[in-house]
Amino acid sequence: MNSGPALVSILRQGDTLVASVHTALDDSEMVRFQNDLVSRIGEHRARGVIIDVAALDVIDSFASRTLRSIADIARLRGAVTVIVGIQPEVAFSMVRLGMDMGDVPTSLDLEEGLAYLARVNGRAAGGRRG
Amino acid sequence: MSTARVPDEPAQPGGAVDVAALIPMLRRIVAARVGEHPAAEDLVQETLVRVLEAEDRIEPGMIEPYAIATARNVMATMWRRKDSESRNRHRALDPSVPDEAEDVVVASEEQSAINEALRRLTDREREVLLAHEISGQATRSLAEDSGSTAGAVAAQLKRTRARLRVEYLLALEHTEPPTDECRPVLLALSSADRRRQREVDAGRHLLECDLCAKLSQPLLGRGPLRDNEIHVAISADPDIVAARQAARELAIRAGFSGADLTMLATAVSEVARNIVRFARSGEVTIELVDGPRAGIHVVARDTGPGIDDVEVALKDGFSTYDGLGLGLPGARRLMDEFNIVSEPGHGTTVTMTKWFDKKGTA
Repeated sequence: MNSGPALVSILRQGDTLVASVHTALDDSEMVRFQNDLVSRIGEHRARGVIIDVAALDVIDSFASRTLRSIADIARLRGAVTVIVGIQPEVAFSMVRLGMDMGDVPTSLDLEEGLAYLARVNGRAAGGRRG
Repeated sequence: MSTARVPDEPAQPGGAVDVAALIPMLRRIVAARVGEHPAAEDLVQETLVRVLEAEDRIEPGMIEPYAIATARNVMATMWRRKDSESRNRHRALDPSVPDEAEDVVVASEEQSAINEALRRLTDREREVLLAHEISGQATRSLAEDSGSTAGAVAAQLKRTRARLRVEYLLALEHTEPPTDECRPVLLALSSADRRRQREVDAGRHLLECDLCAKLSQPLLGRGPLRDNEIHVAISADPDIVAARQAARELAIRAGFSGADLTMLATAVSEVARNIVRFARSGEVTIELVDGPRAGIHVVARDTGPGIDDVEVALKDGFSTYDGLGLGLPGARRLMDEFNIVSEPGHGTTVTMTKWFDKKGTA
């Protein structure tokens, strides 16, 4: 069903999952991404999740709702989620649209996101990263 | 033309030898102009025939330049003829005899449809059309007959042809349009009259009326191709992305940049999603406008159940699926102008505009 290049990649680094969205996702792809990511959290016993949305041209109401759901589900599974890479124009539109990421933490980019996770999870994980 | 002449004169029948000597040169000239065209050899032969015909008028020694000029003329004539043939092809009945029984039936159906369509025109329309198209009477002389101007006659002919096309399609289908709106819509499409199409809301009608959607297929290609307007049919999730990307591309071409682009794309995404969620199928039209200011005009139409209370739907947090309830109110905040018309049972039309802000801020 899904031929062609991967729309999303989910990589593991230590106990952190780094999920990068590579292209614009439609709603069903977004939902599939959510399901994939949530199941990976269990598989890898991840304690941190970074979602890189730098490639998303638009974060509309559905996309932001899905990202928030991912973060909520991850939290219930014991992982902290950080959204990174929201483009300035996208951020502008989200504010205008009247959405935000709720209490999901966001960071400027991957590096900042890893640093954030290191701070939050650092005490237990030994703080090797970041 | 006595044959008893001495054979040292160049303009003798013996001159045919010289003509034959022209052939390699002519082939070269023709090939340089038309390449491997199948008619190349014909052009050479045609040139030779003309040179031979004119042989006794050509001064000695001028036969080569004459042949070259003739070859050019022959080629020019061929292009001109092809050109006018393609322009006038619609005037001529196809003279080739259809040999398949099916073709005969189709031809006779088309013929009777044309007859029927002609019959449905007014006498005056038919008279002028036939005088112009069949008898080849010029618009100017038609204008003199009726005490009008050539331009007015041409405009009238244009309207008549548009009507003829519509009536022909209806006659071919042996059908009458189901609603009063159908004919005006088809006519507006046939005449490629965009202002009129907007007046009769042709886009919505085509979504609602299956017959017109079908009949209009051959009519939609009419009129100049417009690259400042995009239609995206919406029926499933991927179409939402397609619509917003189409909007973004059009806006980039129009000079939009930065946050304006993203706000437009986000708003299109929201209205397209509403179509997929609530109506299952519809259409998003994105159009560049240049008056009163430059901007992007978006129309999202669907034939869904409609919205009972538009005011409520525009409130933040109102959602009938598990969304954030930000779709419509959010789109309204992202765009500069926003209008929604919904008729329960008939569908919803969202019209919104984003004006181009030259300062690049919003």
